[in-house]
Amino acid sequence: MKLRARRRTTSGEHTLAGAYAMDALSAPDRAAFERHLAGCEDCAQEIASLREATARLAAAAAVTPPPGFKERVLAAAIITRQEAPAESAAGAPAAGIPATGTPAAAPGLLDWLRWITRQGWRVRLAAAAGALVTVLVLGAAVVFGLANGSMRQQLDQAQSSSQQIAAVLTAQDAVMRTKAVFGGGTATIVMSHSRHALVFTAAGLHALPSSRSYELWLVGPAGDRPVGMVPAGSRGTTGPVIASGLRPGDHLVLTAEPAGGSSRPDMPMMLDVAL
Amino acid sequence: MTASDRPERGNPARHGEGAGPGADLAAQLGLVARGDAAAFEAVYEQVGPSVLGIVRRVIRDPAQSEEVAQDVLLEVWRTAFKFDASRGSALAWVMTLAHRRAVDRVRSVQKESERERRTATADIPYDEVTEAVESRLERERVRRCLGSLTVLQRESVTLAYYGGYTYGQVALLLGVPTGTVKTRMRDALIRLRDCLGVAV
Repeated sequence: MKLRARRRTTSGEHTLAGAYAMDALSAPDRAAFERHLAGCEDCAQEIASLREATARLAAAAAVTPPPGFKERVLAAAIITRQEAPAESAAGAPAAGIPATGTPAAAPGLLDWLRWITRQGWRVRLAAAAGALVTVLVLGAAVVFGLANGSMRQQLDQAQSSSQQIAAVLTAQDAVMRTKAVFGGGTATIVMSHSRHALVFTAAGLHALPSSRSYELWLVGPAGDRPVGMVPAGSRGTTGPVIASGLRPGDHLVLTAEPAGGSSRPDMPMMLDVAL
Repeated sequence: MTASDRPERGNPARHGEGAGPGADLAAQLGLVARGDAAAFEAVYEQVGPSVLGIVRRVIRDPAQSEEVAQDVLLEVWRTAFKFDASRGSALAWVMTLAHRRAVDRVRSVQKESERERRTATADIPYDEVTEAVESRLERERVRRCLGSLTVLQRESVTLAYYGGYTYGQVALLLGVPTGTVKTRMRDALIRLRDCLGVAV
């Protein structure tokens, strides 16, 4: 009797394999099934085989990405540090994966930049995301400069802010967001909560009359704080602007203000990004 | 017509899987794990359109889909070392990441959606979604295999996988007991797997 009941439970769990392989379990069901999965090698095998089928369902849904998507993905990868396997895992780490603890972001970033330069990517990226390139090149300059010291002098002017920018770009938790700006243009934000800072750039912003300028704000539970006026860049690009003092729950807001700036954000918001 | 409906698909499909693009993708992921940017671009070429496609199928909103698809591809870049060829194909690894992210976004988004709507951001203008040309054959094969399922099996799979619904929601939508939906889902995937010739 008892045995039968138990067997029924097990097979009951097992029928969830299809739903699980399609992510069709609610969060609690998923957690329960994963506990079951941990002790059931057969189930794991079955899930793996069912996922070969669902993968084909996904592949059949392929679409042609919009222009610039690929460039944004590759550019975002440049500034994203790769995770390394935990050393406690059985077996030696694969060759070439930088050991944890070293400033591993630097070699990865340098490799990327070398590769980009070789590929003529700088040009292609400039077309797609000009502003981001500014950030990358600036960030790279800092990394290079820190690496060999000789470029340091040239960076005196913008040193403090570019070091802040580089710190955000190379932060382990750096994430990039892009969002359309009301009235035209695209904003790109790289933020790091561990650094309490973000870097804002934009491309193709609608030109404002000379009496007005764009201003950035951090808006959130901690209050509305002005980040600063957004300088017009060259060739339709804007920034980079660094915003520090990032707090949990903040939004980044872009408004058009009188040229001298204002003490409170004016409506309408041209951009509102939850951070 | 009849000839093409015959179950002769096992072999060619598996053949394509063996040393073809699938194996190549796995090898590229190995290089990506070591920080090889060119390999990442190659991986993007192979899976980018599918990642965006499945994410968009589930999420619908183009801007959000793009954001989630980008996150998925970055996760591939960040965690390529986690791919284990002994536990399935590289395509399945990537698509599992993509589908789960999309579904999780859809289920967590209700709270946020109001705020999003209030935001005065313009929608990025999108041209009509273009189905990727390379996937036409794949789409045809999948369509054929979906056609070999019972109606209930097919609807369960479509609502769950492309619609992002839980099996409980699917049961409500189809007006059948949850137990039935669970078993239909599993049976359907087993049949699809066999029809597509993609056993591990």
